[in-house]
Amino acid sequence: MALLRAEEETKGREWFAELEHPVELLVAIGPEETPLAGAGDVDFGAEMVRVCEGLAELGDRVTCRVEDEPDGFPRFPAVSIRPDGRDAGVRYDGLPWGYELGSLVGAIVEAGRAESSLRPDSLATLAELDRNLALDVFVTPT
Amino acid sequence: MLLAYKLSYASERVTATAIEANEFPQLAQEMQVWAVPRIVVDGEPRCAGSAAGQAGGARLKAWDGAVPEPEFLRRVLAT
Repeated sequence: MALLRAEEETKGREWFAELEHPVELLVAIGPEETPLAGAGDVDFGAEMVRVCEGLAELGDRVTCRVEDEPDGFPRFPAVSIRPDGRDAGVRYDGLPWGYELGSLVGAIVEAGRAESSLRPDSLATLAELDRNLALDVFVTPT
Repeated sequence: MLLAYKLSYASERVTATAIEANEFPQLAQEMQVWAVPRIVVDGEPRCAGSAAGQAGGARLKAWDGAVPEPEFLRRVLAT
């Protein structure tokens, strides 16, 4: 099955052509938990590799690298979205299916920007942050 | 999800992880995920619900649902 519809692929190529920084997708594969019933016989790790390699084919500045159980990944499969190959603390744990594939594409686009797309007042507030914060966003495929 | 990612790219102090709840049901249960998106700050699933986030002064650690950028940042920093 194709990763994207034709119009989505065209849009993806347009967005990725405008990336100002290279973006690396580091795919981490390893032992997987038993998912909820209904997931069928999906090989989540293999599918994650297929998704990320498929996205990397849409732009010269997007690359995909696969590692088996790399450090810093508590769950598998997962992908770290890295501007200039740098770990910026952005990860997707699990397979970005359906609508959530857009989150991964959005992360690539943001990682490839020279400037943040956040509002200036948000950036000013963030600059004053004096402690570390870990944000976990739970999602489901839709 | 994208807002959390943007915060992480904009600040070295912020990390952002999307977690597919169906693939990691044990963690989803621990974080009391009944609706998505559910945002959990620092792995503390307490004080859930958008009403708490609007109460002002509440130390919100988690909430459900997408909110606009200023409110998202306010909630994150209020933890």
